Amino acid sequence: MEMLLMGACLSILGLAVACLAFGAATRGLEEEKPAASVELKVAKPAVATRFFVAPAEPVLPLAPRPQLTIEALLLQIEDHVRLEHAAAESYLASPNAALLHSRTVSRFVN
Amino acid sequence: MVNLELLQGLDDDEAGRVLALGERITLAAGEVLFRLGDSAGSVYLITRGCIRLTLPMHVRDREEDLLVEEQAAGHMVGWSALTPPHRFTLTATAPLETEVVALDRDALDAYFAAHPKTGQAVAFNLASAIGRRLQLFQTMWLREVQRMVESRCA
Repeated sequence: MEMLLMGACLSILGLAVACLAFGAATRGLEEEKPAASVELKVAKPAVATRFFVAPAEPVLPLAPRPQLTIEALLLQIEDHVRLEHAAAESYLASPNAALLHSRTVSRFVN
Repeated sequence: MVNLELLQGLDDDEAGRVLALGERITLAAGEVLFRLGDSAGSVYLITRGCIRLTLPMHVRDREEDLLVEEQAAGHMVGWSALTPPHRFTLTATAPLETEVVALDRDALDAYFAAHPKTGQAVAFNLASAIGRRLQLFQTMWLREVQRMVESRCA
């Protein structure tokens, strides 16, 4: 009789542990579902996709570039021409690939 | 007297005789020596100062003269006068008071016909100067293309 009761208790305990484990496992899945759907919403294109219409590209925010005055731009170009002229002179004085493609400090292209 | 690239290899007397064919012109700061498209009748040897050579370019809907090269004393500008079709392909301006000797093409032709050795030396100097500028601009062009390639492959 005692053995039977002990077996029954152990069975109930095992069932309870199994229920707890099952509950915990299914609750975890239910909680994860909404997060997954949110991610999917973010991944959706802003414009509905149609045949032969490319989905809208996500627009990346560009860093604002200061607008140069024409005079400043022309000065940059002049400096660039002088620097390139000097670089070309150096190359012609001693022609080699390294001098041909030497980096410039010109603000016009950097 | 500055060392003039067009007259290199000539002795002083001969160089003096060629220079005597020309006319000395003093340009005020900002004065234009010749303009793009003008008929080219004279080549100019810079004896003092500097000449800016520019080409028109559109910058933000405005046409601006952009610097292509600068030539200092000793160099020549306007060699279109010596090569067909005798039209200037750039605009030349003096950024500061500058002195040039203008050598008329017809006067040079007549002198070189009578003095072929001088003509040969000057023609050789002209070819060297043109070749040098061609190499310079080839190099500058290739550097720009290299930058375009790098920006396209980045």
